[in-house]
Amino acid sequence: MAKEIYFDDIEIGSEMPVLNKGPLNKLQFVMYAGASGDFNPLHVLDEFAKSVGMEEVISHGMLVMGFVGQAVTAWMPKKYLKKLGVRFVGMTKPNSTITIAGKVVDKRNENGESIISCEVSAKDEQGDIKITGHFEASLPTR
Amino acid sequence: MADKSKAGMEFPPISWEVERGKIGELVRAIQDDNPIYLDKEAAIAEGYKDSPAPPTFLTVPMMFNSGLASVLSELKINFAMVLHGEEEYEYYQEIYPGDVITGKPKVTDVFEKTSKSGRTMDMITLEVEYTNQRDEKIAKARTLIVERK
Repeated sequence: MAKEIYFDDIEIGSEMPVLNKGPLNKLQFVMYAGASGDFNPLHVLDEFAKSVGMEEVISHGMLVMGFVGQAVTAWMPKKYLKKLGVRFVGMTKPNSTITIAGKVVDKRNENGESIISCEVSAKDEQGDIKITGHFEASLPTR
Repeated sequence: MADKSKAGMEFPPISWEVERGKIGELVRAIQDDNPIYLDKEAAIAEGYKDSPAPPTFLTVPMMFNSGLASVLSELKINFAMVLHGEEEYEYYQEIYPGDVITGKPKVTDVFEKTSKSGRTMDMITLEVEYTNQRDEKIAKARTLIVERK
């Protein structure tokens, strides 16, 4: 359960708690395909992945974005989240362990709301970046 | 290659009834253990009306309704050469089980980009505005699709 969080207590540079996910496995990609409706065979059929020059299947990018969403909404109540955007930078392989980290880059008052802007990233155990992204949240004040 | 004349094109709305089970499937696949998604009482205790949909839920109506597939097909994009470049959501209201949401996809731009290695790619930006059964705006999604050549 996400703890309460207040605008007043957040500083620029404050870090979001790190979330580690994985190791990922191919069964999770199958579950994600069924859950999301993205049945692109690149994520579930090794023989298809090989036919397009890959070693094996890769994760849905949106699954890794799902991890980012999990990290943010473990840090703060989901209802505060106003924007979440990501850029898919690299392919994520089975057996990877993904680390989600983020920090606050701006805080401001806007139309009566207290908004924080944050950067976020997803990296594998080699430090290879899979996602760079940003999110904004409207927080309560003390 | 992508048909550049389709920039600005609006697509027929996609409609989707949000099922509790579908919210559960998505968070189980992500392995997100936040109790608000599976336990209605836990969600209510945190100030929600019911279990809310998780932040990336809007991919579900888009994929199951073939929203993305119909856009790619209309723009004559080679599905095998497609990469998902970016995804962004703006949230205005929670999405709950039983909501009927409607998304209006629009192709906002189609342009060519040359990478540092000199390879050209077509970039397609798509925007989808979602409303609920009360015609309230609930979210906006922006997607960048890259077609390699």
